[in-house]
Amino acid sequence: MNRRFRLALITTLAVASVGSLMLMASPATQKAAKSSASASKTASPAPQAPITVDGVKDIDPYKAYGSKNASVVMETFTDFQCPACKQLYTTTLQRVMNNYVDTNKVYMVHRDFPLPMHAYSRIAASYARAACHIGKCDAVEDVLFQNQEKWEATGDVKGTVASALTPAEMKKVQALVDGGTLEPLIERDVQIGKAVPVNQTPTTIIHTRDGQTYPVVGFVSYEVLTTLLNQLVK
Amino acid sequence: MQSAPFNFRRALMLIGRLLLGCIFIYAGYSKILLPNKMYSPLVMLKFSILSNLSNFGFQVASYKMLSPAGVDFVSHVLPFAEVALGLLLLIGWRLRISAAIASLFLLLFLTVVTRAYILHMDINCGCFATPEPVSLKKIFEDSAMATLAILMTLFAFQESRKPHPWNAGAQLPL
Repeated sequence: MNRRFRLALITTLAVASVGSLMLMASPATQKAAKSSASASKTASPAPQAPITVDGVKDIDPYKAYGSKNASVVMETFTDFQCPACKQLYTTTLQRVMNNYVDTNKVYMVHRDFPLPMHAYSRIAASYARAACHIGKCDAVEDVLFQNQEKWEATGDVKGTVASALTPAEMKKVQALVDGGTLEPLIERDVQIGKAVPVNQTPTTIIHTRDGQTYPVVGFVSYEVLTTLLNQLVK
Repeated sequence: MQSAPFNFRRALMLIGRLLLGCIFIYAGYSKILLPNKMYSPLVMLKFSILSNLSNFGFQVASYKMLSPAGVDFVSHVLPFAEVALGLLLLIGWRLRISAAIASLFLLLFLTVVTRAYILHMDINCGCFATPEPVSLKKIFEDSAMATLAILMTLFAFQESRKPHPWNAGAQLPL
């Protein structure tokens, strides 16, 4: 076997290997494309356009609560993996919802601000956003915050979310997450936060009708927050 | 034998007073007036202080060492105590007492931070307004400050037994 023949044989084998690898890869790509297409078919209808309330722009209506005619808009930037955000959500925001949002005094906007140092906060935000878009916001946000230490250690965000939903609801949520249609909404919240700028979570921005804004950085207890809200609510 | 007007002990005491005094004052100031900085009108100043103390209270609670009442007490008292202690150190009044209290504070902080580190607690130190995770770096910083405070205390007691050469024969105050 001369040198040229060996070279030709090696080249042929190399091309054949690369070609077969490409052929093996393409069905997966086709499958992914198909599943993505089917996911978008079974997903919920396209999300509602963002709204503006009292000068606060780009509000995802699925993550906003209360009456748009409230005299105060409260924007809260949180990270699902942040312990202070958990404390704020469980001890302060729930009471604000009951005593101010449900009584049409405050319009609350929840913005996602996943921090880069938290490995699973982005995926948690995706699942929570998807749950909000099928009307199961409270259940999923509650289970994520209450079980924060568990899924933070294991990374099992999906399992935690599934525990709060029926199989049919979980399927819809998973389809939304896989479709990636809600990622731009999360990224928009992050960009809005960076523009403030939000330097730590939680950060709450309270807006009044006359254009005043009051940033509140870090955890704040309900009793302390009400001293401000009672001043601002008319 | 009379000591020199300016020797290693006095130099270290001066450095310790200035350094630790400033650190304590800044630590207290940042807990009371940062990160929420709405200082006007008065109702906003009050809200800012309360929200900052509430935030500090959360950081104290995250160490999981105190009851809720204990957390409230520490979060409302410690920042002001730090400012007062820092001022005393800077002024140098009753130095033996203030240096001893500073040493106790720093040893306590070192203990709780070390405990949190050993238990792999992913929490903020709560030392200043900016979020600082509990880490080896924080332990080394606290150790250095505690060492300085202890040396300052020892030297303050030693110096109190020796009359200053400019006050030869006069009794030194406490």
